[in-house]
Amino acid sequence: MGNKVVTFTHEQLDNYQDCTFFNKKEILKVFKKFRNLAPELIPLEMTTPESVKIRMPKDRIVKLPELIENPFAERVCESFSKDGYGNLNFEEFLDCLSIFSENCPRDLKIYYAFKIYDYDGDDFISESDLRQVLKDLTKNELTNDEHQKITEKIIEEGDIDNDGKLSFLEFETVLKRSPDFINTFHIRI
Amino acid sequence: MSGGKEKKSSRSSKAQGWEEAGSEFYQESYPGDQMDNIHRDPSKLATLLPSKQRVATNRRGRQAQEFKTTRRRNSTLTATRTFRRGSHYQEIQVATLPDLSENLINESQTWEEIREIKAMPVHMAQKRELKNQLQNATKLRLQGFEQIKWKRRKAWQKIMTKWSEYLTKMELWRSSLKTIEGNFGTGVVAYFVFLRWLMVLNLLIFTIIFMFIILPQLVLIEPKDLPCDPNAPPVFDEKRSTANESIWIYANTSVQCCRETYLNEIKHNRSEFSILHLFQGTGFMEKTFLFYGMYTHQIYGYDPLANQQQQSYGSNSYNEGTSFMSNRNLDNFIVDENNSTNNNSTPFMNALLNFSDNNNITTTDLTNFTTWREFFSKLDIYYDLPLAYIIVTIVCYLYILVSIVKAVAHEFKDRLVEGEGQFYQYCNLIFCGWDFSLHNQKSAQIKHKALFNEIQGLMHIKRYEFERNNRTRDIMFKLILIRVLINILVFIILIVCAAVIFILFNISLSVIEPNFETVTRYRSFNVFMGQIKKFSSGTSELDQQFKILFYEFLPYLCIVIFNLLVPILFNYLIQFEQYSPLFVIKMNLFRTIGLRLSSLAVLISRFYYLISAKNENSNTECFNESYGTPMCWETFIGQQFYKLFIIDFATHILVTFFVNFPRAMIARHMNNAFARFIEMDFELSKHVLDVVYSQTICWLGTFYAPFLPAIAAVLIFFMFYIKKFACLVNSKPSTILYRASRSNSLFMIILLLSFSISIIPVVYAIAEIMPSRSCGPFRGLNSVWERAINAFEKLPKLLQDIIFFFGTSSFAIPCFIVLILFLYYYYSVSAANKHMVQVLKNQLVLEGHDKQFLLNRLSLFIKQQQEYQKRIQRQFYDQASTTTNSQQSQGINMDTIPPPLLPRAPRSETGSNDRSERSSIEIKHHSRMSKDIGDI
Repeated sequence: MGNKVVTFTHEQLDNYQDCTFFNKKEILKVFKKFRNLAPELIPLEMTTPESVKIRMPKDRIVKLPELIENPFAERVCESFSKDGYGNLNFEEFLDCLSIFSENCPRDLKIYYAFKIYDYDGDDFISESDLRQVLKDLTKNELTNDEHQKITEKIIEEGDIDNDGKLSFLEFETVLKRSPDFINTFHIRI
Repeated sequence: MSGGKEKKSSRSSKAQGWEEAGSEFYQESYPGDQMDNIHRDPSKLATLLPSKQRVATNRRGRQAQEFKTTRRRNSTLTATRTFRRGSHYQEIQVATLPDLSENLINESQTWEEIREIKAMPVHMAQKRELKNQLQNATKLRLQGFEQIKWKRRKAWQKIMTKWSEYLTKMELWRSSLKTIEGNFGTGVVAYFVFLRWLMVLNLLIFTIIFMFIILPQLVLIEPKDLPCDPNAPPVFDEKRSTANESIWIYANTSVQCCRETYLNEIKHNRSEFSILHLFQGTGFMEKTFLFYGMYTHQIYGYDPLANQQQQSYGSNSYNEGTSFMSNRNLDNFIVDENNSTNNNSTPFMNALLNFSDNNNITTTDLTNFTTWREFFSKLDIYYDLPLAYIIVTIVCYLYILVSIVKAVAHEFKDRLVEGEGQFYQYCNLIFCGWDFSLHNQKSAQIKHKALFNEIQGLMHIKRYEFERNNRTRDIMFKLILIRVLINILVFIILIVCAAVIFILFNISLSVIEPNFETVTRYRSFNVFMGQIKKFSSGTSELDQQFKILFYEFLPYLCIVIFNLLVPILFNYLIQFEQYSPLFVIKMNLFRTIGLRLSSLAVLISRFYYLISAKNENSNTECFNESYGTPMCWETFIGQQFYKLFIIDFATHILVTFFVNFPRAMIARHMNNAFARFIEMDFELSKHVLDVVYSQTICWLGTFYAPFLPAIAAVLIFFMFYIKKFACLVNSKPSTILYRASRSNSLFMIILLLSFSISIIPVVYAIAEIMPSRSCGPFRGLNSVWERAINAFEKLPKLLQDIIFFFGTSSFAIPCFIVLILFLYYYYSVSAANKHMVQVLKNQLVLEGHDKQFLLNRLSLFIKQQQEYQKRIQRQFYDQASTTTNSQQSQGINMDTIPPPLLPRAPRSETGSNDRSERSSIEIKHHSRMSKDIGDI
């Protein structure tokens, strides 16, 4: 036991525990996942502030088994990364999986879901965003006409103030009523 | 209620926020340098929209909410709250000076805030920073009781985190669930979670039973019963005798003698060990505590023999076991016998366990006892096992009921919220359609396909509806005819199944129980049965045994085979009925439940027929031998359910590994139409039914075989792996989208249904059917419930009166009225809430219109402004050349700017009235402003 490399200090773990929905055990598990993506990049010892800041490139994170088949994987990375390019450091990665964990409240999940679906980052889910979502969701199998029809329908359903796009509040109202959201927006670690 | 209020208040505060934001928008945006921005780019207006003003809005809202937010303790966050929290942080960033320094908060509040950091939608670095800030901020120290309270909560939280850590380590099947979820999505994994839940439930039930029934029976020494004395005079049975006829119990049918006959029977006839007995529950198994029959009717620590000597030999002596329970006050006996000093009459529950401090057992004495049994026998413990048996049964069933209802209620709550969600079909499908947990390529492809299908289906649903509405009369008539015919057919199939099971059961009984043949009612069968008997009377011993085994299992095999085959037939039939796909699943499920429950019902009615037969010579026989009633029918029924349970499990193994597995293998390695035909989906509803069915059997049999929940728990444990195999290896992901929310409520509703059905026969048996005289804790009583009534009669008078009062109309009627009043109250509250929601919705829509309108006006106005300025500039250049006309041209310009239109007439809704008025004022104000600008 004495020879074991200390990955995180106690303080770090405490901090992470306070800032995420994971317990210590799960945090270490997440770290293992993170490190497995690129063992040559990430040191075993994460106690120094520099090591925490190392960013994992997006194309590596997308290879995570939990994300590899996810059509929104790139969006997920981009939503959680601070640099906007989708490269995540460990803390952001931890944040990301914490949001997808079971204990995370619905409102927080909705907040990030909005970010994920908001492709162009203009704080609205507009028609172009919806088209993109549909394309990713069905692997581009729908015709242009159908795209048009569905986006219209969605905006018709969710748009309360008739501005032709969904604001966060509108998105929130829709998803709060959705029974499946909490189940599907979930990644078991 | 508080939740509702909270929501309402948050709603209204949001509405206020909007208004505030609106007014702020007009106040702040005009004067100042933002004006220039707007002039340069009208699209920048979007940044001033109310929805964009969240930060500003929340800053205001927060001041009012501050008090409330910090006060609330629970970590379950309401939506607005998280949102506020999130913006709260943004606010800190914006204002650089945190509010925290302004009003000092105490330690407990800081701690709460730190705990809520995790729910903020900001990056980890910021969260950490905030945590540091909070930790280092000056704060008030809590004092006295508050301090203790906070400390306690903190400690509790710590324990909870430790516990959750421990749980994650211990969580059963975590990796299995992950694999299944990765391959089949959340809908299917919900089924496996449900399996786990059932297993834990069974284990809990068994723990209760083990603690209070099995353990005492194992540990305590059963007091010696009175000896069987066949020569004693008959006893008058007070309970069963009526005014017209008096029933006498003869010595050879006394409880003790019947017991001895029964014990002799199982000792001589059924003692040899055979592996077959393991599956049948007969032979040596019958003598174990597995079944009802071996539990004692004695009260531990109470010796009827000693008691008998104290009493004068009365006429009741033979029936002691029965009569002392029913007629005498047991407690007084116990107290007298022990010469105990504490003469307080022990009430109901204490009667179960009564430690007497009279017998002083020192530690030195302890070493003298060689076994625990001896130790317990020296300790004066009174344990009324029959009473415990009843109470434990009631507690167990209540516990099951509560846990199912709790789960159903949870689902139901979600359903209610979802009820409004039916307007969001498309949103639901698009935003919640993807299962983020999927990580298998093949299933991801299937998911893509399924979503595509669903979307198309949703788009075409309108067309289907149109088609359905426009069916011609002929087609309609034909369809209805087909449906009616098929329903009749289904009904006939069900009846045929039931009849076949009934007949097979008779046959099997006639082979096993030789007495059964003499039953006159089945004479018509007798010829047939005689032939069977001839056939079954094999030559060798082993042959004979196997034949008996075969007949014994025949009805159950039949039930299981029906359960396998008939649903396929139903599946085929339903094609012709042309229901909508969702309804097909429900209809099929409903019919299959009908099949399974009807077969169980036949079984139970057959049992009932066997045991409830009126015995004309009940005073000379222990059991109705001529009718084929088993000696100890409770054990018999326990055995039957045990058998059914085992065989049900065995078929799951057989079908999964020896039928479906080869099928899947063939399908995988062949690539033609045949392969596609035999390939299997993972049909969730079918698998759910499998589990619910075996659970129903368990519930039916628990009373007669107390070990059944344990067996069920173990078998469900293995069932998990069987189903996992069936899911991962045998089937491919289903093209039907299983929604976790939907399937969860489905499981629970089916479970509740079968529970409520399975409890009926159990309750009936407890309340009405006479227990057999030769075995079990209730031998000699008229019904099981009689024991509970006897215990009730021993309660203090006051308590009895109180409980009686609950049963009278003087209590029931006021109670009923109060309940109705409450019902009405809640109904009107919900109606009012609904109305409120409607009003607010309308208001929101109107707000949207208003905003739209104002924005249009505004952009128009800005365009005019720009044009005007251009013109001014042009004029300015013109002026440079000709200075004389400047005054005139400005005057003309003023006239060319049309005054902005007034907004549309105020709407009828009260909510919008003052809004539009206000906006019209605003507009007027702007038009004045524009004039002012123009003047300049």
